[in-house]
This record gives sequence, structure tokens and C-alpha cells, in this order.
Amino acid sequence: MVKETKAKEQFGVDKGLVAMFLKMSPEERLRTNDNAVRTILELRHAYQKRKTDRLRPKLST
Amino acid sequence: MPTRSGKPTGSDLSSVLEGLIKADIEFILVGGLAAVVQGAPVTTMDVDIVHKQSSENIAKLLGFLKSIDAFHRRPDDKVIRPKERDISGMGHALFTTRLGPLDVLAAVEEGRTYENLIEYTVEIEFRGHTVRVLNLKTLVELKRTSRDPKDRQRLPVLEETLRQLENG
Repeated sequence: MVKETKAKEQFGVDKGLVAMFLKMSPEERLRTNDNAVRTILELRHAYQKRKTDRLRPKLST
Repeated sequence: MPTRSGKPTGSDLSSVLEGLIKADIEFILVGGLAAVVQGAPVTTMDVDIVHKQSSENIAKLLGFLKSIDAFHRRPDDKVIRPKERDISGMGHALFTTRLGPLDVLAAVEEGRTYENLIEYTVEIEFRGHTVRVLNLKTLVELKRTSRDPKDRQRLPVLEETLRQLENG
């Protein structure tokens, strides 16, 4: 926890994460962003689907 | 292809970038993705570019937009395809494409156009091609003047990335 607090001391910026990203090549950074976007969209879709499923009336058998 | 509701089917921002390069379009990568390629650990959902406003470049860009099934990003489901006038004026044109969102900007903060920004770019090698990217220092300067809450929120991360880059 102390480590984490130190890393994010300036305006909540994770300096370790910045350092990690700076070690990557531009292509690796783009790939990381693409993967993040895909994951976000997948999660949003799943959340949306769950909401839709909840609203759908259950069929009685 | 967009679905009937106008929703895109995927998001691959690297492919949007590669497509722009292969279509031989003159542009500067700005916004979140410009920050990402220079090492800022942020996530962005779209590609923002400032394009050169020559008639030849606009024709190439329009052709590329059509090839990736671009349509204007709107809150409703109306599918409106791009026209030459959308990208030849001084405004912003925000598109959804089958590869992901692409924002085509005639200018950024303080009305800075392609010609005004070109000297503040860095060249980055990407998939065997060269991409012009607005340098992080200028990006930070522009974001400092921005009123967009998203920009204000990101600013400390961009500043820290710039600080670490400058300190080697």
C-alpha cells in the first residue's frame, strides 16, 4: 500500500505505469490500447446484454 | 460493415492508422492515440487526425472513408455517409467505421491546422511505415488550454510522461 501511495503521489498518477509504458515500442503501445479497447467494448456489450436480458419478460413453460 | 442500427462491428485502431498510411493520406496523429504511441498509459477509443486540406488529399481521405464504410457518428441511428464538404471545411467530422471510430479534424485547439502543427511533429515507425505524430510537449500545451473535462483529467498523466521522457 505504501508503495502504491508513493507511486501515485502526484495527482494520482501512477509513475511506475508511465515508466512501464515508456519501455514499450510505439507498436506495442498501440497493441496494448487496441486490446484495452476490445476488452472495454466486450465488457460494455456484456453489461448491455445483461440489462436487456433482465428487462425481457420470462417465458412460462 | 455497420449494422442496421448503425453500430460498428469492431474496433481496431491500429488498422485505422495503417489504412490511412496505405491510402497515402497526409495527416498528423493527434489526441489520445498520439499520447499512447509516445508512452502515455491512457486508453483511447478513437483515432484523431488533422489532415492536410489540399484537394488531392481530401479526395484520398474521402475514398478511404468510403472503403471502411464510414458514416457520421450521431446520437441517433441515422446512417449519413461522408461527403467532400464534411472534410474540406474548418470543422470536425466524427465518423464510425467498420475498423473503429475516426475523428477527422481540420484544426485543433486555437485553430491550429495541419500546416501550423507540422513543425511540432515526430515521426514514428509503424508496421514498416512512417507516421507523423503531434509531439507530446505540444499535446500537453494544447490540453492545458482545453475546456474538455476528459482532457483536464488526462493532463497529469501526460505531464508525468513528458517529465520522464525529458529526464531520459
